[in-house]
Amino acid sequence: MKLNYYNIRLLLGLLLFLMILLLTGCWSSKEIEDLGLIVGTALDIENDGGSWEEQDGEYSNRDLITITNQFVTSETIGTGAKEGSTQQKAYKNVSETGDAILPTLRNMILKIDKRAFAEHSKVLVIGEDLASTVNMQQLLDFFLRELEIRPSSTILIAKNRASDTLESKETVEIPAFQLVEIIKGYERTTKILPPMTFAKLDGKLHSGSSFLLQNVVSEKGEVKFAGAAVIEGKTKKLIGVLNNKELEGITWITGKGKGGLVKSLDEETDQPIIYEVLSMKSKIIPHVDGDNISFDVNIESEGRIAEHWVLSEKPFNNEFLKRAEKVSEKEVEQLVKNTLDKIQKEYQVDVSGFGNRLRIEYPKVWKKVKKDWDQTFSEVPIKCKVKLTIKDYGTSGY
Amino acid sequence: MKWWKSKIKQKLDFENQKENALKYAEESSNESSNQFTGDYTVDLELVRKEIGHNWDVQFREFQIGNTGVHAVIIFVNGLSDKELINNHIMKSLMLSFSEKSYDDPSFVKGAVSKELIKNQVLSISELTEVYDLKGLVSKVLTGSTALLVDGMSTVLILGTTKGKSRNIEEPVSEALVRGPRVGFTETLSDNTALLRQHGDTRNLSIINFQVGRRTKKELVIVYMQEIADPNLVEEVKKRIKKINIDDVPESGYVEQLIEDNYLSPFTQVQNTERPDRVFGALMEGRVAVLLDGTPFALIVPVTFSMLLQSPEDYYERWLPSSLIRLLRYLAAAISLLGPSLYISFVSFHQGLIPTKLAFSMMGTREGVPFPAIIEALIMEVAIEILREAGLRLPKPIGATMGIVGGLVIGEAAVQAGIVSPIMVIVVALTAISSFAIPQYSAGITLRMLRFGAMFFATMFGLYGVVLFFLFLCSHLVKLKSFGVPYVSPTVPYRASDWKDFMVRMPLMMMKRRPKMLHTKDSIRKD
Repeated sequence: MKLNYYNIRLLLGLLLFLMILLLTGCWSSKEIEDLGLIVGTALDIENDGGSWEEQDGEYSNRDLITITNQFVTSETIGTGAKEGSTQQKAYKNVSETGDAILPTLRNMILKIDKRAFAEHSKVLVIGEDLASTVNMQQLLDFFLRELEIRPSSTILIAKNRASDTLESKETVEIPAFQLVEIIKGYERTTKILPPMTFAKLDGKLHSGSSFLLQNVVSEKGEVKFAGAAVIEGKTKKLIGVLNNKELEGITWITGKGKGGLVKSLDEETDQPIIYEVLSMKSKIIPHVDGDNISFDVNIESEGRIAEHWVLSEKPFNNEFLKRAEKVSEKEVEQLVKNTLDKIQKEYQVDVSGFGNRLRIEYPKVWKKVKKDWDQTFSEVPIKCKVKLTIKDYGTSGY
Repeated sequence: MKWWKSKIKQKLDFENQKENALKYAEESSNESSNQFTGDYTVDLELVRKEIGHNWDVQFREFQIGNTGVHAVIIFVNGLSDKELINNHIMKSLMLSFSEKSYDDPSFVKGAVSKELIKNQVLSISELTEVYDLKGLVSKVLTGSTALLVDGMSTVLILGTTKGKSRNIEEPVSEALVRGPRVGFTETLSDNTALLRQHGDTRNLSIINFQVGRRTKKELVIVYMQEIADPNLVEEVKKRIKKINIDDVPESGYVEQLIEDNYLSPFTQVQNTERPDRVFGALMEGRVAVLLDGTPFALIVPVTFSMLLQSPEDYYERWLPSSLIRLLRYLAAAISLLGPSLYISFVSFHQGLIPTKLAFSMMGTREGVPFPAIIEALIMEVAIEILREAGLRLPKPIGATMGIVGGLVIGEAAVQAGIVSPIMVIVVALTAISSFAIPQYSAGITLRMLRFGAMFFATMFGLYGVVLFFLFLCSHLVKLKSFGVPYVSPTVPYRASDWKDFMVRMPLMMMKRRPKMLHTKDSIRKD
């Protein structure tokens, strides 16, 4: 390319064009230290509703919601320069009350000096009271719709006030992170549900089926996972709670667990035998006979004896293993039976995927019963078969 | 429009001037082409007038043997081999002449014939004749010795050139762990000899040119007769002939004058100090250009992938070589895009950073008074200054520079809160990556373009970085080096050439020469 006068003018033109790009400035640029990262959000119902804004008369007769955002900002992280201030918390909770989500969140701008940024949001905790009074689909519409919120964040139900779960005695901990880390324990126990993310929740809400959400309790600045909340598909409201034992039963029925323990008592010596789950498989088989629907649940599991208090002088023999398998099987059967009783008789909702199996195997039948499935489910006979196999007994031969 | 016309007129004026200058140069050279007369004193005076004022030009007058014939030898002190002059010229002409001459029937006392001296007296292998002053001057000034004898209108030029050259050493700029410890020197004949001695090389063509209107430097192009594409050789010859400049001090001049696109930031000619690298390129069907007075040979045509290759890739086994090559591509990517990715993550896409890392970035950025781009510019400019300073300094001070610079930039800048520690890591990583590129000039290119990428990142974030990369790609795709597309074998796609691209396949599988070079003989191995 020769630098003659045409080309120089062409290049000048190009340069001008490039300079037009400069006119955009730093489009939508925001420096990271100016952000307040929202890592967790809590939703609570406001009973006393003492906010001064109420005087505007905007919120007559409507449920007020308090949103608590947990912020992590550059100040709360504390660089090495501020070593003295150990009392400073690693997070900052900001609350605001209103009757819809986004306007309330926007009101928060009036309170905080950072730009709220929700792409790192990990967890949403909903208070029990709120969940049982407001339709979940309406409540969560903003969270499912908002671009900045990741579909991978998890939803939890708090026993008392949800905002309490975002408080911690420890100053260095970030409570939202703690919650997320605890959820990961579902791989090692049957007492925690697999995480319910926004992505999964969206489907559940729209299919109209009932489902479970992990329940979390906050006591004296400590959080603890306890049982699960039952959300009814029709009203999309919380109708009850399963305790830890019943939650274990659900895990066995669905076979979604990856690990956990079964504690049973030896029939001869009345000493505990602990069976550790290595793998879990469950098959729900629907049977349709005319108008009668019934289910078989086949649970299979492999595991090991992790601990037993039965004193014996002989090395392991098959007889003892059989015995251990038997009692563990019985224990699991009991768990499942209790749970089925609870969900069929008391809550009358299907939260463990029976309807789904029916839909897959008998789509025509499903079409008929779909509308009142929870009702139908409460009267369906369910048979349960449990098969546990003890593969090994660790490093001790006795 | 008037402005434009006047510009054209200026341009025409300039062309005229150029022609005049050329004419003048020719005329002046004609003027000095004085024929020798054969009259000793006249001729000697002519030579003295032309070059006699130079301190280093020696005139040694003497009489040949016992004949009484006057003669003079003219040579440049230091450029010519004195021992050779003493033993084989002076001695033969002054001492041994008389004994020999009696045996010769053609000998006539009082006169010496050209043939006699040429055929019987002088034991010098390289001997030419010149008839005019111009020829004499140019030969003497390059180290030959001129013998002017009374009564002879022909001057004998005796090859006594002994240029100052250094020993053959390992090249500093391209050190290898494995490979010949040989590098080119500043002497062209040594360099061509290094290529010649590579085995039986009857195939090796070394074609000579002279470049530089005023200095007439020797330049050779080297290629394999039976391999190189004749069109390519012609093209190289054509471009070398077109060079019209007063002097070419270094092969960098030649490189810049023969490259395809001088506005491109990418180097389109490869330079190397290693004979093995040149020979490797020749065997692939490329052409090398060697210039007298510099150890840097040029290789054309060049593709981008060549700049990320080292001769060692072929000497080591294929697996480590391939992995190291991939590593270099990674280094090139980091060196080009490192800081711009940092800027776009920190100022635009904080959601893409892992949460914990986002926290620590936020913490370290707290208190830094500048936006990310200024922070990055400060550090990048500082490290470029440091590099440049370290390069020019004597070695002992260079080390001190590194320590001072490293301490000041790494520690103090962070302590003072001017930059964040993560920025220091990014800059350091980028700098190291740019040094991992084997070709120095390619490293500079990427370093330069890095600033462009940073600018785009500041404007549009990752979108801008992608945009910048697309601009770069569209330029690269268009670029050619001596008719070979710069980014081949990716575009145009040639599957067989991929064997020696990002990975180096086993030699067992590399049976053909690169297709992109259109070689006469494409088979390397059966």
